[in-house]
Amino acid sequence: MQQLQNLIAGFNVSSCEPYKQCWIKAKLTTQDDLISLATALKANGLTSLITVSPTDFPDDNRLELNYFFEDLLTRRNAWIKVDIPRELDACQIPSLTPLFPSVNWHEREAFSTFGVRFIGHPALEDIFISEDFIGKFPFRKGFDWQAHEANLIENMACIVRGFEREHAINDARMGKGSHTTLNWGPTHPASGPLRLRVEVNGEDIISVKPDVGYVWRGLEHLVEGKDFVGALVAIERICFMDNTNAMICYAQAVEEIAGKPITPFASMMRVMLGEIGRVVSHLMGIGGFFNTMGLVTLQMWALDVREYFLDVLEDYSGARIATASIEPGGVRYPLKLALLVTLEAAIAKYEATRSEFYAIFINNPTMQSRATVVGIITPEMVLNNGLCGVVARASGVKTDIRLDEPYAAYDKINMTYMLAEQGSAKNRFEVLFKEVDQSMDILKQAIADLRRGIESGEYRPEKDAMVRIPKKLPDGEAVSRVEWSRGELMMHLVTRKSDETPYRLKIKAPSVNHTMMLETLLAGKTLSDIPLVFGSLYICQGDLDR
Amino acid sequence: MELLFNILVFPGLLFVLLWALFVFWFSRKVLAYIHKRVGPHYNGMGGSLQTVYDFAKLLGKESITPHNVNPYLFGLIPLLAPTLAMLTLVLLPWSPNLVVVNTQYGVLALVVLIGIEPFLLFLTGFGSNNKYSFLGGIRILTQMISMETSFFMAALAPALLFGTMNLVTIVESANWLTTLILLPGALLFFIAALGILAQPPFNIPDAEQEIVYGFYTEYTGTNYLLLKLAEFTEFLIVFAATVTLFFAGYRGDVFDGFAVLFFKMLVLAVVMITVRASTPRIRLDQMLRFAWTYLVPLSFLNLAWVLIAKVYLLGGS
Repeated sequence: MQQLQNLIAGFNVSSCEPYKQCWIKAKLTTQDDLISLATALKANGLTSLITVSPTDFPDDNRLELNYFFEDLLTRRNAWIKVDIPRELDACQIPSLTPLFPSVNWHEREAFSTFGVRFIGHPALEDIFISEDFIGKFPFRKGFDWQAHEANLIENMACIVRGFEREHAINDARMGKGSHTTLNWGPTHPASGPLRLRVEVNGEDIISVKPDVGYVWRGLEHLVEGKDFVGALVAIERICFMDNTNAMICYAQAVEEIAGKPITPFASMMRVMLGEIGRVVSHLMGIGGFFNTMGLVTLQMWALDVREYFLDVLEDYSGARIATASIEPGGVRYPLKLALLVTLEAAIAKYEATRSEFYAIFINNPTMQSRATVVGIITPEMVLNNGLCGVVARASGVKTDIRLDEPYAAYDKINMTYMLAEQGSAKNRFEVLFKEVDQSMDILKQAIADLRRGIESGEYRPEKDAMVRIPKKLPDGEAVSRVEWSRGELMMHLVTRKSDETPYRLKIKAPSVNHTMMLETLLAGKTLSDIPLVFGSLYICQGDLDR
Repeated sequence: MELLFNILVFPGLLFVLLWALFVFWFSRKVLAYIHKRVGPHYNGMGGSLQTVYDFAKLLGKESITPHNVNPYLFGLIPLLAPTLAMLTLVLLPWSPNLVVVNTQYGVLALVVLIGIEPFLLFLTGFGSNNKYSFLGGIRILTQMISMETSFFMAALAPALLFGTMNLVTIVESANWLTTLILLPGALLFFIAALGILAQPPFNIPDAEQEIVYGFYTEYTGTNYLLLKLAEFTEFLIVFAATVTLFFAGYRGDVFDGFAVLFFKMLVLAVVMITVRASTPRIRLDQMLRFAWTYLVPLSFLNLAWVLIAKVYLLGGS
């Protein structure tokens, strides 16, 4: 870490200090140094640039860009800030995409929403935002949303025109031999709200170009209109599948700025609720993987088990999917011991079904013949493309935020990295299964710890659930990371003194980088491999578009 | 009069309709059981009226003919497909004294009529002016060409063993020993039939996750219902053909009759549904490799085995 700090301090920086366990936070005085600093960081092993997050400060007439560099292997991360002018003509900075392919779409996103022009980006096109926002840079502070909404008809017409343009391109390509453009999505049985423009020659794929943004809700903007607790409504809707861990991530950022640590009891509750969220999500994921090959039996069986875990969430919060059960300051409700019994019943249900899952589906020869040969991701691809979570671990890369930068009460939990070797679609499926097993183990440890703590009087389940977080926070910013079910979820929260709302929240979601991989993974394969590779990357369009 | 009864009631139109209603419900129920679901439940006994409602719903829906397609081709095939499928019914012996056309060329006519059906489905894909439908059409053609060779070869096994192509004679001469001899042939026949019927793991032509609904994509309402009816009729024929060729048709241990045949067909249906519920779909190139490097050589070997068995086990004649 010291060596990394010295390296960064060697550039023109106005500040350079350690931040939390594994970050160096620094601010460049001039953007001229950005490329050389990034090159030096890359040479030092920080190969993943996971996102770039602009923050708009109209009062100071500047846009602050935050770059987050990560080294998955040695857990050394760097948070580099640099100011650029706010005027649209001067709002530009050298692109880091040629150095770090992982940041490609993130730079395009910053361009679409803030108008930052990245010089040297291979294809700086709009992404995520819908047609009617193009060129308007909606996340800038001065953007008048109400005036925009008033032009509803014109906005709709704009979207329709965009559709017609695409249609014309497609039509022009029809009827010329066996080459054609096939739209895989957005209204396709297996795609979800995402479109892959697939150039095909008969059954063979020539190239795949994802078209995303069909469920762009502007979540990062929506939270700016809500108070710190109300923002949860937007946060937990990043993706419905794993609902609790996203809230943990946000709550941690708020608590860090407020300077209020939560109680050990609430930390352990967060571990428990977080793992339930992971199990609920993974059980959907393993079913979805087989769905892509036209076999829904596993989905049905997994959903059957999942119901028991949803029951636990319902018993705790009253809701099964959007639970809003974790808020800044702790967990929302006190714990009743009957909940632990319900949870134990759910674990028992999974363990009773587990052997059937393994016998019929993990060892399925047809699945193995298809899934071991496609979607192969090497460890180098993981490090260079900012992949994380299940996808990274299936390639043998040891990354898991629960272990790398323990949060909540994960430091009390005994766990290891769940790894696989080859990085094929089948390995990712296998790791998903292993992680469900691991979550069951963690849940058991959490239950035992909660029981022990309550008996010994260390935890007071009635009083310890929440600590009060003030309505208004001081000036501050925080970076919070959790191991979400789909991978590393990072939030960058900026607050301003005496504001009751977040000033800026940047959500770095894992599916963005995973979707970027589709182009590489599918080139030269056949049509039949699209759903399989897509399904194995465990992508959720909710956190892709946000 | 009897012919009219045969055409309209049994084994003709009404029987096919009832079979389609029943087997749709039956496969849903069995599949639901394997899925740990309930399946159709609310309408009628055990949800038995659900398919009736579904069919009625499809009849009531608008049949949309897409833009820029040949309406005659698009509209003709849903009529042609079930008609052609039902033609095959006249060849099969349904009970000891019910076979409408008792011909020397039974096996030949049977495989030809079963094998012609995918061509019609290919035409639906061809005439839909839809990329997905077209891909589905191409896929079903590819699959049919690959699977039909072994299908024909497997169907020849009983004809060789019994020295006749007359289906009634085949049924009447079957016994436990011949059934055992024909067992590998039955397996090959059934696998190839799964391919021809585009059933999992060979449901490549209408692979939902890849090409939406393949050749069915543009069909709605009554047209869709008719195509589905053709599909269920194909099930009926393939099950009945398998039982007739390999498992002694309507002949049972205790008594002979249609009920025995029907029971055996249901067993085959359960086998098919179980395969569907436990095997993922394979890729097109895997199907091709499987068909040409395993299935076709095996069906030749099977013919050799049947001839050897005929000479050495049955004393050859």
